[in-house]
Parts: sequence; C-alpha cells; structure tokens
Amino acid sequence: MANVLWLQGGACSGNTMSFLNATEPTVVELVTDFGVNILWHPSIGLEIGEQVTHLLKDIIAGKVQLDILVYEGSIIEGPHGTGTMNYFCERPMKDWVKELSKTAGYVVAIGDCATWGGIPAVPPNPSESTGMQFHKKAKGGFLGAGYVSKGGLPVINIPGCPAHPDWVTQILVAISTGRIGDVLIDEFHRPKTFFTDFVQTGCTNVVNFAQKVNGGFGKRGNGCLFYEVGCRGPMTRASCNRILWNRTSSKTRANHPCLGCTEPGFPHNDLAKGSVFKTMTYLGFVPREAPTGESQLGYFFKAGIEKIWPKNSAITEGSK
Amino acid sequence: MAVVKELNISPVGRVEGDLDVKVYMENGVVTRAHTQAAMFRGFERIMQGKDPQSGLIVTPRICGICGGSHLYSASSALDTAWGTTLTPNALLLRAIGQSCETIQSIPRWFYAIFATDMANKKFANKKLYDEVVKRFAAYVGTSFQIGVTNSALPVEVYALFGGQWPHSSYMVPGGVMCAPTLKDITRAHAIMNNFKNQWLETVWLGCSIDRYRKVQSWDDLMEWVDENESQRNSDLGLFIRASMEFGLDKFGQGCGNYVAYGTYLHKDKYNKPTIEGRNDALISPSGFYNSHTKQYHDFNHMNIKEHVLHSWYQDHAAAHPWDEPIPTPVTSQNLEHTDFNNKYSWSKAPRYLDNSSEAGPLSRCLMYTKPNNLPHQTKDHLIKNAFDKIGPSVFLRTLARVHEAPILYDNIETWLRQVDLNGEFYIKPEEKDGKGFGATEAARGALAHWIEIENGVIKNYQVMAPTTWNVGPNDDEGKSGPIESALEGIEIEDANDPVEVGLVARSFDSCLVCTVHAHDAKTGKEITTFKL
Repeated sequence: MANVLWLQGGACSGNTMSFLNATEPTVVELVTDFGVNILWHPSIGLEIGEQVTHLLKDIIAGKVQLDILVYEGSIIEGPHGTGTMNYFCERPMKDWVKELSKTAGYVVAIGDCATWGGIPAVPPNPSESTGMQFHKKAKGGFLGAGYVSKGGLPVINIPGCPAHPDWVTQILVAISTGRIGDVLIDEFHRPKTFFTDFVQTGCTNVVNFAQKVNGGFGKRGNGCLFYEVGCRGPMTRASCNRILWNRTSSKTRANHPCLGCTEPGFPHNDLAKGSVFKTMTYLGFVPREAPTGESQLGYFFKAGIEKIWPKNSAITEGSK
Repeated sequence: MAVVKELNISPVGRVEGDLDVKVYMENGVVTRAHTQAAMFRGFERIMQGKDPQSGLIVTPRICGICGGSHLYSASSALDTAWGTTLTPNALLLRAIGQSCETIQSIPRWFYAIFATDMANKKFANKKLYDEVVKRFAAYVGTSFQIGVTNSALPVEVYALFGGQWPHSSYMVPGGVMCAPTLKDITRAHAIMNNFKNQWLETVWLGCSIDRYRKVQSWDDLMEWVDENESQRNSDLGLFIRASMEFGLDKFGQGCGNYVAYGTYLHKDKYNKPTIEGRNDALISPSGFYNSHTKQYHDFNHMNIKEHVLHSWYQDHAAAHPWDEPIPTPVTSQNLEHTDFNNKYSWSKAPRYLDNSSEAGPLSRCLMYTKPNNLPHQTKDHLIKNAFDKIGPSVFLRTLARVHEAPILYDNIETWLRQVDLNGEFYIKPEEKDGKGFGATEAARGALAHWIEIENGVIKNYQVMAPTTWNVGPNDDEGKSGPIESALEGIEIEDANDPVEVGLVARSFDSCLVCTVHAHDAKTGKEITTFKL
C-alpha cells in the first residue's frame, strides 16, 4: 500500500494521458488491485471530501503519510526566481514541491519537463523552467544535487516525452510492493531496467543501419532514418522497441525518427535551424554525431567509406 | 480576515496548467464571474528564431490531450506557407490520426472527468441517482473502468501510423512519415471493431451505430430513448434521462456565439493546400453561428483578433495573430491579490468579428446544419434541432460531445478503406519564407496556428487553442469570455456546495485544472473554494 500524490507544474499532461493508456495493469487496477492509493491527481483523483490545500498542509505537517510524490511538468521559477508564473492553491507550485519533497518517501519525476526541464527550458526559457534534480545534463536542478528523499534515494527520473505508461506503473508498483531495492538507477537517475538498451535495440530497421542505407519519409522498408532525417535511436537509451507503445508500435516502427526524448537535452540542439528532422552532417553525408560507443573519427572513416564506395543497397524490399 | 470555509466537491480536474474561476453570488444567483488561467510557459517565445519545423515537435507538447490536433495544425500551417503537395493518402492518414484522438477523448472525458460529478450528493434525492452512482462513480463504477480502459483503443490506431500517442510528430509538411501496409490497415479495423463491440455499441448506445445515426431531431432522440430497454438503459440513455431529471438542461447557456474551424481535409480536395481553399475542402465544416440573429457566417480566419488588456502580457491593440507580437509576460498575482479591473489571466481573449465565441463540439455540431454546406461535408441535424427546441445548456454541450462518437467511428472506418496502398504518402516540399495558417477541431474545439518564416527561421508563431476561446478573460470592451458568460445568472441551490458552477465549467472541457472560488457579491467574502 502506498499513498501517491501526483502534481503538475509546467506540464502538458501528456504523461497523465500516457499513464491512462496503461494496460497491464490499467490505472484502475493499479488502484483496486495493486495497493496504489491516489491521494490526489489533477485529472483522475478520487473524491476525498477535503480541499486540496488542506491535504497538502496535512502532508507537510506529517498528518498524512506521503509515500510517493509524482511530479509531472517543469519546475517554473520565473519570473526572477519567484515561481509566480505557476500558482497552485494560491502559492507558487515550486514552494509546495520544496516542502512536500522533505516529507515524501520517494520522489518520482515523470517526463522530460520534470526530469531535466524539457521543452519549456529551451532558450530563452521564458518561464525559467528547470527539472527536479537536473537542468538538462547538469545535476542540481530545483532540489539540488544532494537531495535524497526519506526513502534514501535521489529523485527517480522517468524521462520521455511522454514517459511510457509501463515505465511509470512498474516503478509505482515496485515502491508500493516493497521492491524498490531491486530498482537500480543510472547516472541520470533513470531506472536501468528501462534505460540501458538503446531505442535501436529491437528497431526493425537495424539491418539498414548496419549497411548504411538511407531512408526517408513516406516509403516502406527503404532504409535507416539515422542518415538523413535525424533519427537518434543509436544514441538514445530507452526500451521503446522492446516495450512497444500503445501495445502496437514505436516511432521507428512507424518510420518516425527517434527524437532522443529520454536523454537529457531533448529537444537536442535546442531546435536550431537545420536540426529538426534533418541529420546534421559533415561534408554533407557523414553524421555529425556518432552512435554511442563508436569513436567519432572511427565512425566517420567507416561510414564515409561505406556510404561512398562501394554503396550498399537495401536488402529489405518494401511490401504493401 | 474572513473565515473561509473551503470545500472540495471533487478533486477531479483538468490538465495543462490551472484555471481559477471566481464567482460572486447574491441571493443564490451568480452575478459576476472571472476566469483566471494560472500558468505560463511561453511556447511561442521558445519557437522564435528556431527551425521552421520546430512547431511539429514543440506544439504537440503544449497539450498532451490534444497533441495530434496541434500536429494537424502545425503541419497544415507549414503546408500553406511552403505550398506543398499533399497526396490523398497523406490527407487520409492525418484525418485518421485526428479523429482517433478525438474519439478517444469522448469516453475518457465522459467517465473520468464529467460523469463523476453526476454522482455528487446534490442529486441524492433524485430517482436515478443510485443507478448513476452505480455506473459512473470514480474507479468503482461499473462503466467507469470499461470506458476509461477502452478509450486507449483508438489511440492504438493512432500509434500504428504515428508510432505512439501522445506526442507523435508523424504529420509533416508534404504528407506523413509513415507508409502503412495492409497489416497495419487490417489491424486498425480490428482495433476499432473492438472499441465498437466493447464500448460504443454495447455499453454506450445499446443499439447499432446505424440505428443511432437515424436520430436527427430532438423528438427522434426522445423516441430512441423509449424505443426499448437496451437503449433506455445504455449509458447514453441513462445520461439523457438523468440529465433531464437533474436539470442539467436548465443552466449554463453561454454567450450564444459559436465558432468552428472545421477539420478533416478531404483526400481529393486539398492536394494543393491554400488558406483560401480550406473551407471547401473540409469534411467537418467550419463556420460562425450567431444564435441571437440566427445567422450562419462562412469562416474567415482574418475575422479573428486577440485582446490582451486583461491578460498578463504587455499591452497592444487587439490584433489578428499574424500582426500580434510574441507575447511578453508581465507580473502576475495569485487570485487573492488579483484586481479584476486590470490584468487577471495568462489566457488572451480571442474574438470573432468582435464577438466572444464558444468553441467545442456544440459549435462543431451546429455547423453540420449550416445551409450552404457542400455535398461531401458532414450533415447531422440533431444538435441544431435540439438547440432550437431546448436551447444551449450544460446538457446540450455534453450531448454534442458524445453525439460525435458514432459519426467519428463511421468516418474512421471509411477513411481506412480509402487508403491506397499503391499510392504515395509524402512528397518532399521546398522550404521557403512566408506566412502560413493551419487549423483543426481538437476534441474540445477550434485550434489554429499562425506562422511567419523569415530568413529560414520562425519570425512569429501564434497558437490559439479552444481553451483560449472558452476560458479567455474580458476583452478590451469589457465583454466577458464564454465561460464567464455561462456562469453569470446561474442559480446556486447550496451556496456552500455550488456544484452548478462546476458542471458549467466542466461542460466546456477546458484543458486546465479548474478551481472555483465563490464569493458573496455584497461583502466580497469568500464563501467556498473547490477543485474541479
């Protein structure tokens, strides 16, 4: 049994919508069968017959136990560090979060905005947004690099824009059933079970990647999206092609380049001209960023030769 | 300091930031209402100076509920700016994505957000109350889990073509990224069929879609309800009967003006996208309806202006989005310290021909009866007929929202069958500078993007969401926004539990966590505060 409070700051609610797509278990089963007691959630809270402000105050006073604080959306600190661009229950949301994080058993940041600031934090960052314990790649964020919750862990980061529902439900179940000890986290505080392999792991286009065959939009089985349209599957750690989306699909399986949304820094290159759905290259054909684990120079050399001579052709025929 | 009695009617809210509603009551009647959007992120400012395609990635993330709708608008805005060519398949797959997102929202909104309010104790003395609680109570209601769980099915179809829902960017200028196969199309039909068998026909309608779609007037609907036990006891049947018994048809009229941008560009009528050619290419028609004069008008985006006198942005004269500056925020206040004669919301106030106008399914359904609609455009007369007979209300707004489910289902099936697996899905466009306009109907109403590209980067990007139309504050002339209007004049049975206010605000399905603050009109004392 675990009491969960779910708050949204600079959020689009995409993680909540993703969460509602969960199938095994469903959100309803999470509540009725898996011991997750939702104290309040902005869209799907149970009636509690008590005003939300009172609930927050009771939690802070220690009258109500808060096992898991789930936070979705960026921490808005603007303007000038006041946080008044995001009022919640008559106070800046960031002030609530600061106090709640002191009493929470575990703090779980869901989605890129909560983990590292996400799109709101793209320069010029008009709302002065930041993540719970990271700002882009830098540790620190709103709660500071040294923060640990009562349960002894730093903020558990479940990134993604949005996060996959299974990533969320499985961590909530792990905490509520006392198995959080089995959850190992990486340098960016991501549960390793979901964020060790790459998006490319399980991508149906991996043969074309290996053979350096280019792909593009609107065609079947025509090649890998890494070389032309900016796919970040080879350098993005996430289980998108192992645990499929909406039970059926993934971006790369639908011929959609991976945007690298589980890595700090999304949207990469801060949306600079020429960076959206285009691979940034040297000499017009060598990808500027090499796959993770490959040396930059070695990859340029290898890819350069293979892409010019002898040129490989696609071995997967497009079939309707 | 007044002793404030605070009461939580329901913690079920909305999303994408916070909405505060302040109402003043006198002798049990709301005399004045103000809406306050309480969160700012500055997406338009973030996109300035960035890659022209940034909107494809950024704007779906403005709202996780309407991401596919933002994508539809963002790609259309670039299509018109760049002068792309769109194949029939590209238009079909965009329409399928948009409609899957909208049909998903219907059960998810109805059960998770709206119907739990009908289980409020205010209605405990009503005959149908026990049945409503049994079915619609949060989590434990017999229909709640069926509705919420099955709402995930249509977005599985979206994911087949877009990779995932929410937050795909599969619609791009020139077409779509995907090139589905027969396996994808067949699976999409099968998933929609499950949606129909597990919820739409069995739980919701209690009859076939074909039977329900014969309902074309208010009298037809009343006959349909009483035709047999299956229809009478379906969730729709129960919703209609309970609404009439609970009096939801008696309040929340609104401003009486309705705007719809329309959506679903026809596969053969928008292959050369232009702003001028958009109206005639729509399947779900656009328009503006003034119920005071009973006049329909053709939609023209140049008739829209945004006002910021009461918004927390630097002042400028009311202007069309292409002529508006990127908004510069000014200092905001919390509700307690807000001066409602001055600036009081992060939302701007859009006006159509200077009219405050309601966006949403009610507006959309009124356009289905627009006299000059073209043969390929959706025709359906129930909502306009009901509007003329019983007038707008919380009930009619909600009925319009759910009435679209069978229409959308038929459209999705038709469009899936029309995808030509031998055809093209994408034609690479030539990038250039210019202005663009893209629009659609999100589940909760009219959504549009305006873009200006200069020197290969975004110079100006303006987003106007349906919630902007509905929750917007007063305009430069002091005219109320639609939700503000809809709240004025409603009678509150119990001043300490003004559930009527909540139901009105909710009937607009604003994508914001909504808090209502009720005040005594004479003393200004806060009577109660509650989360919606």
